Amino acid sequence: MKKILVYTLLTLFAIFSLFPFFWMLITSLKPFGEGLSLRIIPKTITIENYKIILTQYNFFRYFLNSLIVALSSAFISTSFAFLGGYAFAKRQFMGKRVLFFVLISAMMIPGMVYLVPQFAIVNLLGWMNTYAAMVVPHLANIFGLFLLAQYITTLPNSLIESARIDGANEIRILTNIILPLSLPVVITVFLLNFQFHWNNFLWQLIVTTKEKMYTVPVGLAMFRSAHEELYTLKMAASAISLMPISILFVFAQKFFISGITQGAIKG
Amino acid sequence: MKAQAKIFISLVLSLLLLISCGKKKTAELTIWVNYNDEEYAVFSELVSRYSMESKVRINVERIPFMGTEQKILSALATRTTPDIARVDVAFVATLAKRGALHSLDNLPGIDTLASMLVPAAFQSVVIDGRIYGIPDQVTCLALFYNKELFRKSGLDPKKPPQTWDEFLLYARKLTKKDEGIYGFAMHNTLWWTLPFLYTFGADFINGDTCALNTPEAISAFKFKFSLYEPEHVEPGAWKPGAVDPDMGFQSGKYAMVLNGPWKIKTLRDMKIDFGVALIPAGKAGSGTAIGGTDMVIFKNSNLLEQSFKFLKWLVSKENQATWANRLGQIPVNIESFGLVDTITHPYLPIFMKQLQTAHPRPTIMNYSEIENEVNPEMELALTGKKTVEQMVNDACAKINAILQQESLETEGKKEKPETQ
Repeated sequence: MKKILVYTLLTLFAIFSLFPFFWMLITSLKPFGEGLSLRIIPKTITIENYKIILTQYNFFRYFLNSLIVALSSAFISTSFAFLGGYAFAKRQFMGKRVLFFVLISAMMIPGMVYLVPQFAIVNLLGWMNTYAAMVVPHLANIFGLFLLAQYITTLPNSLIESARIDGANEIRILTNIILPLSLPVVITVFLLNFQFHWNNFLWQLIVTTKEKMYTVPVGLAMFRSAHEELYTLKMAASAISLMPISILFVFAQKFFISGITQGAIKG
Repeated sequence: MKAQAKIFISLVLSLLLLISCGKKKTAELTIWVNYNDEEYAVFSELVSRYSMESKVRINVERIPFMGTEQKILSALATRTTPDIARVDVAFVATLAKRGALHSLDNLPGIDTLASMLVPAAFQSVVIDGRIYGIPDQVTCLALFYNKELFRKSGLDPKKPPQTWDEFLLYARKLTKKDEGIYGFAMHNTLWWTLPFLYTFGADFINGDTCALNTPEAISAFKFKFSLYEPEHVEPGAWKPGAVDPDMGFQSGKYAMVLNGPWKIKTLRDMKIDFGVALIPAGKAGSGTAIGGTDMVIFKNSNLLEQSFKFLKWLVSKENQATWANRLGQIPVNIESFGLVDTITHPYLPIFMKQLQTAHPRPTIMNYSEIENEVNPEMELALTGKKTVEQMVNDACAKINAILQQESLETEGKKEKPETQ
C-alpha cells in the first residue's frame, strides 16, 4: 500500500519535471513559425529544424567548442580539487587551517563581483577568443575542493598508514587508495563542473567576439533577434545541446552505484 | 580575515585593471552587430563592398542581441569596446550620458546627413543637444487586420477603420465570443500604449516631468482599457499565459492588432490574408511609437572619422534602398523612400506613411525602469483594482522619482566629459 503511494507520487513528480523536456522536443518538431502554438501533438511533424540547425548554422562548431571547454575545465578543475582536497584532509602543513578558512570565505563572494576584474586579466593576457580564456579562470573550484576534503577526511588514516608501510609512495596512495574510495564524490564534482561550464553563458559571451569561438549557450542566444525569437530552431538546438549532459548522467549513475558498493567492501 | 582577503584581492585586481587600459593600434574598423540572420547576410555584403571601394579593412563581429548590453558594459570597463556597435535606441542615452560615446556634432557632413534621415529616428540619438549616433534601422507600429475576418463580418477589407470611433464599431462587429474571435488584442506595456497616448494628444514625459496625469492621457487610457472592460472586444491577451496578440492574429482569432514591419514576413509566409493600415486617428490624428537601433562610435575608438565615413555610406540613399528592398524594412534615409519596390513589399508604403506621424522617444537613461514601474500600474487599472485617475497619479509619482534620480546622476557627471 505504502509502495503504491510512493510510486504514484514519484510518477507524478517525474511527469512534472520531464514535461519541459517533452515540450522542448515537441516544439523542435513543429514546422517553422508554429513554435508558440499550444498543441500538444503538432498537426505536422518535421525534422526540418534539425536540418537547418546542422546545415545553415555553425551549430556543430558551437557544440564542439562547448565540449572542449566543458570537458577540459571539468577534468582539470576536478583534478585540482582532488589533489587539494587530499592535501587539506590528510597532510599537515603550515597555515593549513587559515588557508582553508580563506578559501571557504572566498566562496562567499558572488561571481558577478569578480567578473570584470577577471575579464580585465584575460584581456591583458591577450586571451580573448581563446579556449584558455574560457577554461583557465574557473579552474580553481573551491566548492569541489571543500566537498572532496570533507569526504577524504572521513577515510580512515590507518588505510594510508598501512599502504605507506607496504612501501607505497604518495602517488600510489592517491591513485590506488584515495581515488577509488572517493570516486562517487569525484564524479559528482566532475559532473557539477561539467554542467556549470556547459551552461555558462555570461562569461563565454564576454570573452568571445568571433562566431567560431561561440559555445552552445551563446549560440542559442543568437536565435533571438530584436523582435522575434526562432523558437522551433532554438528548441531543436537545445535538444541537441542536452545530449552530452543526459549521456553523462546516465553513465555517471552507474558509476555512482559501483563506486559506493566498492567503497563499502574495501572500507 | 574575510574582509582583509577581499580588500587584498580587489587591490591586486584593480592594479591589473589600470595596467590593461592600453589602446588598440590597428587601422581596421571593428564593428559589433546583433543583426538576425537575414540582416547579417545583407550587412556583410554591404561591408565587403565598402572595403573594396574604400580600401578600409572592416572586422565585423556578430554578437547575440540578448547579450549586447552586458557585453558592451563589460568591454567599457576594460576599454576594449569596438569602434562601432549597433545598439537599441533606448541604450544610446544610457551610453551617451555615461560619457562612453563620441559626439558626432563637429564632423564634416553631419548636417546634410541629419536632414536626410527619418526625423523621429534621428531625434532619438540627439541627447542633451548633441548627436551621439546614426540610426541604422527604424520601426514603428501600425494596425494589422485580418481581411478574411473582415469579410465574414460584412466589413469591407479595403476600408480599415480611420478613427478610434470607427475602430470600436468595427471591433464590436468582428467580435464573436462564442467562436473565440475578438475584434482587437493588445499588449499592456507602456511602449505598446504610446500610440493611444499620441493619438489622444498626450505623451508620457513632458520636459522633465511625467505627463501621464494630463486629461488627454487619462482619456487615452480610459479608451484603451474600455476595449477590455466594459466593451469586451479585447479578450485579455495581455494577461500572462493568455494567447498573445501575435499568436492570436496568426491563428485568425484576433481580427485587429498593432504590430511592426518585422512581423510581415512571418505572416506572408503563413499565407494569412491580412492588411496594414494607419493607426486609427484620435483627436490629435494618427500617431505611432518608434523603435529601432542606432550605430554608435565609442570614445575608446581612435578612428572616429573613418567610422563616421562608413556609417555615412551605410545610410546613403542607395544602400538604404538595397536594405529596404532586400529585407522589407523601412529605410532610415527619407530619400530612399522613392526607391522602395512597393510591388514586392506592398505593406511598406503604409509604414513609411505611418512613420511621418511618429513621435521621437524621450532620451532618458532608464527607460526600462520606467516600463517596470508603469506596466504593473496599468495592469491594476485594467483589472479594475484602481481607477485610471489613481493609477496615473501613482505612476507619475514613480516616474518623477526616476527622472529626478537621473537628473542628479547626470549633473554629477556633467563636469567630467566637458573637461576631457
